[in-house]
Amino acid sequence: MKTKLLFFFSFFFSILNFAQVKISGKVTFKNKGIAEVNVTLKDTYDGATTDANGNFSFETSEKGAQKLTFSHVKYNEIEKQITIDDQDQIINTELKEQINEIDAVVVSAGSIEASDKKRATALLTPIDIYTTAGADGQISSALNFLPGVQKVGETEGLFVRGGTGTESKIFMDGNLINNYFSSSVPGIAGRDRFNTSLFKGNIFSSGGYSALYGQALSGALMLESVDLPDQSSYDFGVSPIFLNGSFQKLSNSKNSSYGASLGYSNLNLMQKIFNFNTDFMDAPQGFNGDANFRIKTKSGGFIKYYGMFDTNTMGVKTESLEPEYDFSSVKLKGKNTYHNLSFRQKFGKYLLNAGTSYSYNQSDLKFSTEKNNVEGEESQLLNDGNYINFKAVIDRKINKISALRGGFELNYANEKLNFGAVNKNYRDLISSAFMETDLGFSNHLSAKIGVRAENSSYLNKTNIAPRFALAYRLAKDWTTSFAYGLFFQNPESKYVNSSTNLDFQQSQHFIFQVQRSTEGRSLRFEAFYKKYDELIKTQSINPNSNQNQQIQTAFSNNGDGFAKGLELFWRDKKTFENIDYWVSYSFLDSKRDFLNYPVSLKPNFASEHTISAVAKRFIPKWKTGINFSYTYAKGRPYYDIITQNNMNIIRHEVKLKDYNALNLSFNYLPNLGKKDAKAFTIFVLSISNVLGTKNVYGYNFSQSGNRSSTVVPPVNTFVFVGMFISFGVDKTQDAINNNL
Amino acid sequence: MKKQILSFTLVLFSLLSFAQTGYEKVMKEKIAKIETCKTPEDFQVLANDFQRIAEKEKGKWQPNYYAAFSYIQKGRVLMRENKLQSLDEVADQAQKYVDEAQNVEKNAEIQLLQKMIYSLKMMVNPMERYMTFGMKATEQINSAEKLDPNNPRIALIKAEDIYFTPEQYGGSQKKGIEFFKQALEKFDSYKPKTDLDPNWGKAEAEYFLNQAPK
Repeated sequence: MKTKLLFFFSFFFSILNFAQVKISGKVTFKNKGIAEVNVTLKDTYDGATTDANGNFSFETSEKGAQKLTFSHVKYNEIEKQITIDDQDQIINTELKEQINEIDAVVVSAGSIEASDKKRATALLTPIDIYTTAGADGQISSALNFLPGVQKVGETEGLFVRGGTGTESKIFMDGNLINNYFSSSVPGIAGRDRFNTSLFKGNIFSSGGYSALYGQALSGALMLESVDLPDQSSYDFGVSPIFLNGSFQKLSNSKNSSYGASLGYSNLNLMQKIFNFNTDFMDAPQGFNGDANFRIKTKSGGFIKYYGMFDTNTMGVKTESLEPEYDFSSVKLKGKNTYHNLSFRQKFGKYLLNAGTSYSYNQSDLKFSTEKNNVEGEESQLLNDGNYINFKAVIDRKINKISALRGGFELNYANEKLNFGAVNKNYRDLISSAFMETDLGFSNHLSAKIGVRAENSSYLNKTNIAPRFALAYRLAKDWTTSFAYGLFFQNPESKYVNSSTNLDFQQSQHFIFQVQRSTEGRSLRFEAFYKKYDELIKTQSINPNSNQNQQIQTAFSNNGDGFAKGLELFWRDKKTFENIDYWVSYSFLDSKRDFLNYPVSLKPNFASEHTISAVAKRFIPKWKTGINFSYTYAKGRPYYDIITQNNMNIIRHEVKLKDYNALNLSFNYLPNLGKKDAKAFTIFVLSISNVLGTKNVYGYNFSQSGNRSSTVVPPVNTFVFVGMFISFGVDKTQDAINNNL
Repeated sequence: MKKQILSFTLVLFSLLSFAQTGYEKVMKEKIAKIETCKTPEDFQVLANDFQRIAEKEKGKWQPNYYAAFSYIQKGRVLMRENKLQSLDEVADQAQKYVDEAQNVEKNAEIQLLQKMIYSLKMMVNPMERYMTFGMKATEQINSAEKLDPNNPRIALIKAEDIYFTPEQYGGSQKKGIEFFKQALEKFDSYKPKTDLDPNWGKAEAEYFLNQAPK
């Protein structure tokens, strides 16, 4: 009996010792249950995961003082002291949200984020640009298919929300690019001189941008150049228009790389095949080359250099509008070089970004006339420009989503102009300092406050520009933001031809945005109001009576204007398999009294309604991509303005017809997936303006005003064929093989 | 008295054995659950279970391995449901545990998980990411294979990659099936070093082989 009792007792004791106590409860955030919280009795295997309502329950045989922890990626971890005895326990907990970079709203009014950052607003990567029909692989042309950018064919530049092409500036790794576009002749837009594949991503801001950027009244395009390549490679491109070759060599240690390229282009052959509107005496020809190196230092710094040179020539002959001549002609010789050196390194909590760039541009235009096959006197317009920029920014993180940054920028310009009797030497040093803070209040609310100050040595004036933006998350997929900013820009030097006292031109932006982004789809709505002040007013002086070339000179800052509008953007990669499409619509209402406008007018570069659509489909079976794009822009106004008796008057006002273009392109990748292929080849066929719509960009009027001609694209429909080959270890295909 | 001693030893023994095998027992129990998990939530619960064990049993790679594996499986389910945007976060969680596991030990099994993490990250945006994450994934699986050529799980993941790659890109279901057969052979001959070492994947290989037209 005794033994039995003892046995029973010891058995009972053992049970008691292992008697399980139930611990349960609910985990909440703002009184709502949270699922998937990991509840752990510290240093034991015991615990549970909360269900969809935030409830948890587990049993444990632990006793005494214990710690119970609650953890979840999106919330701050909580540790609770508990004492376990024989009783079941109920423990409820309220968690606090963890502020985190992925969830926090990002201030984005006016800007379209376009690098591979973890955000759904990602737009226009190099692949996107190459596969946009009608963009010819050019970044600036692809941006034409985004809301807010006006279709202006006769002049290069980004015409953003009622701004001129020179009101948008383009930056490479933070440094201003002074000569992004190639030299051009009147009526024919220059082209992008920078290869799209140089940049891993871009941020295009159509207004309200950061205090880090200045001297742009309308927009900023920030290009981020690629880092180290993934492999060494040799690339060749062949087409009836151009030939080019390049290489990239990656060091064995994968810490540095260098590369170079050479290219030659000539439109002569195409001119024989297609019916060009423009009569090129000398077909556009170009020669270009570039070189780069990128080094990762042992201490974690990164140095990048990119340098390029480029020459282009062309000659254009047109029937003269003047009765005393048969033809007038212009010959262009352009020379450019650009060098960019940048450095980036982290020092503890600080991140330093410094860079310097140098540009040299020369544009040599020769105008002449012809009568009965006898060439008249030639007049030369020679522009030489030297530009040096330096910029340094220090960034300090305060917490995961807050930061403070500041820095300074120097832009030096030295321009020489020779035009007949006119000899101009323009020098300006713009010194700027800026400061900006990102304030993350919670995952739902953040703000950006900045200020920029600039001094121009030429104007001998200083400005201070505040910038502000606020973003708020309305619901899981919906964000809204507001941005305000004051922007200054020096008068364009080509209008500075007398000793008049001038000031900065300025604009104010008010931008409101609502955005919805979900898996594979994004919808953006934006409303803006832009107010221009202190715009320069000009008159034409010294009109060279032989040609239509006039020199405009600024005499005051009495101009002003406004632009307001609505924009809609929809992109969808999800609904249709293998199809990525986007649609954008812009409404723009703008009036300006500036340059030689006698009164406030709708600007000649602003179209009231612009609609564009882009669609891309990749057909894996055919290894072919088919791309389509369409643009409609309501006809812009055109003004023939002359200066008479020191007064500007409108002699003619014409409304251009609506612009329409349907573009198609095909990419064929024959070696895709071939294991033993040594080269990776892409064939491109693109047809711009398939329907052959005869678009008109503007007019030219004779001196007397009695005769006129239209400014039209050099060619209505253009067909491009090309082949691009890349030699090297084709890892692309290995990657596809192993990961799809 | 004899009985007394017996019962006492019995209790003592049960206590002792409990203490000795607690880790193994709980691990085996949770490892068995891998096969029964279906939804992302199931895998999250499992990941949390392994995380708990990993925190207590510092210095062992297996709990971290299985926590990472649970997250990866969660990611793979999400991927099949086409919720590609959540993959980055899941992959980052998995990465944490792979890093922990690699601090303790370096082996082909952990490298294979690293490969699977890179593949998940690539799937967020294959067009943009195959040059980075796609390549890293390839590097990982190749080096894992060199380290452990007979590992059936490496063969399984390779087979899956080929199976899901369209013919134009050098894969095909037919080719994939051949690789699944090889993987299955490896499963039959491969013996994990301990009961707690990775032993998953055979059912998956069999599943694909059953799908194949006979």
